[in-house]
Amino acid sequence: MTTRVPLLPAAAPPGDAALDSLHAHIDALERTSGVHTIAVAVHDTETGVSFRRHADRWLHAASTIKVAILLGVYASIHRGWLLPHSRLHVRNRFASAVDGYPFRVAADRDADSEVHRSIGKMMRVADLAVHMITTSSNLATNLLLDLVGLETVQRALDDLYVDGIDVRRGVEDERAFEAGINNRVTADGLVQLLRLIAEERAFSPELSREMLGILHAQEFRSGIPARLPAAVRVANKTGDISTVAHDAGVVYPPHRKPYVVAILTEWAPEASGRSATIADISRAIYELLTARPSVGGGGNHG
Amino acid sequence: MGEAYRFPLRVVDGLRLERSLREVLLPGRVLYDDAGHAHTLPRYFYEVPSWEHAMNIQLSQSFALWELIQTDVREAGPLRGFPRYVPCSITMLALCLERFRDAVGTFVHIAANGGYRSPRHAVNTGTTAHSWGTAVNIYRIGDVQLDDREAIERYAALARQTLPGVWTRPFGSARGQTDDQLHLDFGYVVSVPHDAPADSLGFEAERRAS
Repeated sequence: MTTRVPLLPAAAPPGDAALDSLHAHIDALERTSGVHTIAVAVHDTETGVSFRRHADRWLHAASTIKVAILLGVYASIHRGWLLPHSRLHVRNRFASAVDGYPFRVAADRDADSEVHRSIGKMMRVADLAVHMITTSSNLATNLLLDLVGLETVQRALDDLYVDGIDVRRGVEDERAFEAGINNRVTADGLVQLLRLIAEERAFSPELSREMLGILHAQEFRSGIPARLPAAVRVANKTGDISTVAHDAGVVYPPHRKPYVVAILTEWAPEASGRSATIADISRAIYELLTARPSVGGGGNHG
Repeated sequence: MGEAYRFPLRVVDGLRLERSLREVLLPGRVLYDDAGHAHTLPRYFYEVPSWEHAMNIQLSQSFALWELIQTDVREAGPLRGFPRYVPCSITMLALCLERFRDAVGTFVHIAANGGYRSPRHAVNTGTTAHSWGTAVNIYRIGDVQLDDREAIERYAALARQTLPGVWTRPFGSARGQTDDQLHLDFGYVVSVPHDAPADSLGFEAERRAS
């Protein structure tokens, strides 16, 4: 009989000093990078450790709200109202949350042109969900939100006891923006939502895995994943408008359970270095959670 | 097509269909438009056995049946599968479209939900000729996307010249107007083909059946 010895010692939960050092690192970034606000929430499913910094502060959600809309779509699938292969007419015409006045999603302001090319035709709900998350298609987002409804999305969040996500409208609704009607999130809210998905507690393990699969296909990788080792998988969703840059995701270091992280930042419109700041914080969190205890003071245990 | 040719779809009496279908097709039911005018929905339908049939049945030289029955997930549940039922006037709609296609000289693209859709389709905001199978929404003609005033009004004018009596929805964003497609509408026409099943139910039986 042989005893299996792990190649590396397990990560130890970070102590108070390590958490304080992460706080200090982010404080320094806030002083030097030109960012107005940095809000962070982390939950490590391996050690149970949490880290929170302004994690209950409400910020404009930008495209991170699309994770909540994804949840609403899968709530509809869970209830039997939709099937993943249900087909939906692609039409670029939506009603403002303010007064119902029609608006369109400008093709040149949308990161995804494929959905625009399907105007007039139909696309499958599951494909629209992929476009909404992986390339952040605004047109796909509004089509899906129009289909399932705001109430369905908010009810799905409420039913799963997710606080800290407030869904009030579709994207590119300028009249709503000017009227101050915006989607809002907290770092805590996004981490709660992503934990449900990562831990397969969102409706069913199968539906959770489908949502997670879509998040894993994310094409925007300049935030949380950017400075992590190549072997680390990340299922994430970014959000950028002129004054905020966010990223939230589930991070899978090799040989351990994942951790869930949301990094929300607020900036002056002309500021640069947003993705780099998020990537820096993400790297610091990764190092904190995956730091391994020294083995016998570095002695020769080979 | 010689004398032996027969149109390949069976005509059915909507009042004799099972209840779940009657509840969404509303055969022979009276609907009221925004002005309060009553219009009687079609009672007779072609039965389309499968999507393959819809793909293969050419209603006119340029228009196949499938183009006029594409509906999305917001169509009533019993009409999302097959067999599917479409008002018999759909053949005349295709002939009118063919004439319009000749006038524009290029491809005419019908939008999803833009041909026949049932009175229970969730996108309906009132009584619409789409539920008679006598209206279409066209989102593209050739390479021209119909999403601005110039394109919509140009082709609407051509439609009115080409198709006597056609109604085109005016350009605009208010209810009853259009700003992202061309709506051609031939009114609340009901077609009863000669091979429609004989009407032997009697009024009271029909009322009960509906």
